[in-house]
Amino acid sequence: MSLSPVEGVALDEIESDPDATTPAAKGVVGRSPGQLAWLRLRRDRTAVVSGVLLVFFLLLGLSAPLIEMAYGIGPREQFQNLLDGFGMPLGYAGGVSGEHWFGLEPGLGRDIFIRLIYGLRTSLFIAFAAALITATIGVVLGALAGYLGGWLDAVINWITDLTLAMPFLIIALALTPTITLRFYGERGQVSSAFGVGVLIAVFAIFGWTSTARLVRGQVIALREREFVEAARASGAGLGHMLFRQLLPNIWAPILVSFSLAVPQFITSEAALSFIGVGLSDETPSFGRMIYRSLDFLQTDPAYVFFPGIMIFALVFAFNLFGDALRDALDPKSSR
Amino acid sequence: MRPRVVAAAGGAIALVVALGACSKNTGEGTAVDTDRKQTGVIATDPKDSQGPAAEVSGAVKGGTFTIIRESPISHLDPQRTYSFAGLMTNPLFARYLTTWKDDGKGGLVLVGDLAETPGKNVNNDCKVWEFTVKDGVKFEDGRPITSKEIAYGIARSFDPDLSGGPTYIQEWLADTPQFDTKWDFKKNKTSLPPGLSTPDAKTLRFEFAKPRCDLPFAVSLPTTAPLPADKDTGVDLDKQPFSSGPYKVAKNQVGVQITLDRNTNWDPNTDPVRHQYPDQFVWSFGPTADAANNRVIADNGADQSALAFNTVPASLVAKVAGDAALKSRTILSPTPSANQLVINNQRVTDLKVRQALNYAIDREGFIKAMGGQTVAAPLTTLMPSATIGYKAYDAYPAGANGNLDKAKELLGGKTPELVLGVADNSTEQQQGAQLKANLERAGFKITLRNISDDAKLDEIKKKDNPWDLYIGNWAADWPSGASILPVLYDGRTIKAEGNSNQSYFNDPTINAEMDRIQAMPAADQGPEWAKLDERIMKEHAPVVPLFVDVAYNVHGSKAGGVFISSVFGYPSFVNAYAKP
Amino acid sequence: MARFLIKRLFSATLTLFAVSVLTFLMFFALPRDPVSSICSKNCNPERLERVRDDLGLNDPLISQYAGYMKGIVTGRDLGSAQGGRCDAPCLGWSYVTNEAVSDTIARVLPVTLSIVIPAAILWLLLGVGLGMVSALRRGTWLDRLAIGFSLTGASLQLYFVGAVLLLVFVYNLRLLPVPSYTSLFDNPAKWASGLVLAWVALAFLFSAIYARLSRAQMLETLSEDFVRTARAKGLAKPKVYGRHALRAAITPVVTIAGLDVGGALGGTVITETTFGIQGLGRTAVDAVRAGDLPTIMATVLIAAVFVVLANVLVDLLYAAIDPRVRLR
Repeated sequence: MSLSPVEGVALDEIESDPDATTPAAKGVVGRSPGQLAWLRLRRDRTAVVSGVLLVFFLLLGLSAPLIEMAYGIGPREQFQNLLDGFGMPLGYAGGVSGEHWFGLEPGLGRDIFIRLIYGLRTSLFIAFAAALITATIGVVLGALAGYLGGWLDAVINWITDLTLAMPFLIIALALTPTITLRFYGERGQVSSAFGVGVLIAVFAIFGWTSTARLVRGQVIALREREFVEAARASGAGLGHMLFRQLLPNIWAPILVSFSLAVPQFITSEAALSFIGVGLSDETPSFGRMIYRSLDFLQTDPAYVFFPGIMIFALVFAFNLFGDALRDALDPKSSR
Repeated sequence: MRPRVVAAAGGAIALVVALGACSKNTGEGTAVDTDRKQTGVIATDPKDSQGPAAEVSGAVKGGTFTIIRESPISHLDPQRTYSFAGLMTNPLFARYLTTWKDDGKGGLVLVGDLAETPGKNVNNDCKVWEFTVKDGVKFEDGRPITSKEIAYGIARSFDPDLSGGPTYIQEWLADTPQFDTKWDFKKNKTSLPPGLSTPDAKTLRFEFAKPRCDLPFAVSLPTTAPLPADKDTGVDLDKQPFSSGPYKVAKNQVGVQITLDRNTNWDPNTDPVRHQYPDQFVWSFGPTADAANNRVIADNGADQSALAFNTVPASLVAKVAGDAALKSRTILSPTPSANQLVINNQRVTDLKVRQALNYAIDREGFIKAMGGQTVAAPLTTLMPSATIGYKAYDAYPAGANGNLDKAKELLGGKTPELVLGVADNSTEQQQGAQLKANLERAGFKITLRNISDDAKLDEIKKKDNPWDLYIGNWAADWPSGASILPVLYDGRTIKAEGNSNQSYFNDPTINAEMDRIQAMPAADQGPEWAKLDERIMKEHAPVVPLFVDVAYNVHGSKAGGVFISSVFGYPSFVNAYAKP
Repeated sequence: MARFLIKRLFSATLTLFAVSVLTFLMFFALPRDPVSSICSKNCNPERLERVRDDLGLNDPLISQYAGYMKGIVTGRDLGSAQGGRCDAPCLGWSYVTNEAVSDTIARVLPVTLSIVIPAAILWLLLGVGLGMVSALRRGTWLDRLAIGFSLTGASLQLYFVGAVLLLVFVYNLRLLPVPSYTSLFDNPAKWASGLVLAWVALAFLFSAIYARLSRAQMLETLSEDFVRTARAKGLAKPKVYGRHALRAAITPVVTIAGLDVGGALGGTVITETTFGIQGLGRTAVDAVRAGDLPTIMATVLIAAVFVVLANVLVDLLYAAIDPRVRLR
């Protein structure tokens, strides 16, 4: 049970071509690889479209409170008078109206549009934070293992194997309530931030392995290069070697794996909600919305449609962008 | 190229999901009539206890009746049976001392099952009871059932290895909740527990230290199912119980499927309630409530004579109720399972706060949040309407949506901060969100705390639990006030953990009144419990009554005879049949 | 070769040992008392305490762990309330389901195998096939279609696809029965028709990844020297692609496939939940919810065994497929 199948692929597609990441500016005048990549990215229509879409989503999420003000409805407000005796929204398409753009949730009668906006914020925050943390852990462990080798490499490798062997979903399910209890006792109001924090922590514990393996492979490939040996011979310390000599040469695959990790964490949050872990009902999130809405596929399809299409669009945009980014960073790779 | 793919994929999903989203919901025709009246008596005429049971109109013999349920039945061993699925299945292969003749509309008569009558109160003090075993009752191997085997069944229920079943009779006989230390079954397999005797093969005699007027009810539970000592396989009896009823376990694939075949040694002339219509009953476990109901609604092949044991989930209610063609395939009935917003009286000591909660409650909104009137019906009393002697009242009349002004007035400008513990399952999460919004409108400050779903029940049963409010449920083991009010509101029973009195309500005058009523003959107690019910609510408001569960089940087009048990609120199979 | 294998197996055993210890510790930290699920409506503290004693829950953690491990290796006696003697490999007794855990596992493992193995075959064939075709027909509409397909698949979630498939094929068109598990040996047709939706859903999502991966690999390999050499030597196209290029390109696919299948065998919780089939994954989740420690231990260990074995297997396959890889 790895976090997601994407993980392994990101790793392998990137790893397959370590040469591409060496200083590649042969023959081109005065442009750094970064500038080159940026140029290529700007010329790629897909990248531009998906990039714009992502920025749009990010802005939507960031400005959630502003949107709430303009829209005039909060994420926890209930409109049960607009539901019928079975708790189903009255009117067309799950209660879509000028007031409620995406209709109402069956049962509680909360506004779907504003909950989606807040859910977008929660999900994006979790995904970005988790991706950042896992990337950091993975880079540090991977670089150390790859550069120093020996027993440290063996230990880190073994910990990676162990982490992969622990069933992620089950442990997340078991640990979340325990951690909550430890921090808040039995009566305290558990803040939304805490639930989010726990999720990020769980992702961090289980999500770093692919980055670590990727970085380790890249570092091993670079380790014996002349420029690295030269630096080592001139007496550079470990920190200098790692952060000045090695990492600047492998930031491209790390960036790609980061951009593919974000959508993976968005879907993982949803998957966790599906088996009943994760955020409580008070924090709007994509996962919970999707999970609850799926039951209503037959009776209120609109309720499934809005969150479903939103999460699909978001993940799709991320995947497109990640793909385009890889192409841009790796000119040799195939389009 | 790729943006076009986005549009195409998005469009495809949109198309699939949007299908059927275009009809307007006007909310018409969604009212559901779930009224029915409960009457319950103990049969005085021995003829009521005689077989055979009246034929069910339209019933035919033959076929296979399938029951689909998400989770397996926890125990088949009668002495360990206490879950509702178990209690509903058990009568197919086990008979008891007494049983309920149930018309499925609330009319209940307690009759003798293995016994000729529902018990003889020998000295009219409820301390000594005698039951006479009928002639012609047999086990699946043809052996006659005598009082010895019934007594042995009761004796083995003292074995701590065979836990899980009801403990009324054991505790009453031993006169202590520690019945298994008072009398050790394993060491005394050839003798009987204190107070239980078999003067002859036809007679079973109970002698209690205290009056136990509810005994005829208590022996309708599976504890009194007979078992010959040589057929006792200990914990393995769960896989293959030894039948005394119209069916016997033919094949049991634990956790997957149970197949019951006809028991040819069962004599309909001795049985006042059971039938033997289908050739086979099959329990099939695994599909989720959604899947099971969808399957039965689809009405294909073997599912045509199937019943989804799980009620129609809230998400499907609109589909089922909105489909006129399905009407004849659904059963809708309120159940005796009562739900309250339990107030922890040890923490919330201010009567005004408890009364304000009662005024504030928006039952209509609450029920909508759960899926509407086919899922729950509002309740303003402590006892459910399915109780003998029930009288409707509303101690805090505030209309269907609650009276926020009245609640605020009682609070007098204060903002009580209360912690509401909710299980982390999706139902209670919804309920919690609804209650929080509802009560905060009335001037409370509510903190929601999640409790792990499976642990919730155990946690709120602990005396020093940390929450002020939680949702509680009580489904009585028989429809008498004696199995509700003293269990839930007698403060003298409060112990460190494992409490049924989850409101931790304790009032000496109320306790004394309960003692007075319990000493009355069972048949006269009904109206007295109803009076006490109202008095507790008016004077103390220990809980906020919320709703009774409504059973809404769907069955295939060839399944028939199923009704909702007036005692337990789940589908009963004694009349079930499968059309060819 | 033999040394490598021994080394690998040793590290695998060590991993499994660590998994078992961690799981044991973790679930004893749960805020839940496993005993309370045994007691019914009329529980009292003294009874609970006695049950705890009987179950050995009051023993030190180490001796509980030792007892459990000993049970796996040699079997042990669990006492009359837990079905008596429990033969090796004894996984304990569940008070929640009232059966020996090994019986539970024997029941649900075939279900998960029946979901995962055919689905894996399907997604590998579909994924690698699509990848190959689009690599060889690079730039054509076929290529674009394959890329679009794989990106869509990678962006969809199983519960969503599953729910839509169910609605369309089962509830609306009624082409298929509601998903359920029947043993392959009892009724192959029913087995297939009950699980086909799960296979299709899994194959759709997973093949997306394999299509992307194998396309990239194939293109990479096609440009390599040995392929060019083979072509120059006059070998026929199919032979070059089929024998030389495919072989090299498939190596990373095998790695990922091994890990994916290993992981999936440990339980496909989401798939099983979506289609309402009780396999290893759902059993594990149910067990965690109910605080059913013996079942949790068993399911976690089995999942770990699959992952670890898959790892070893992948290393071996690597050597078998790609002549460039030599085992140290």
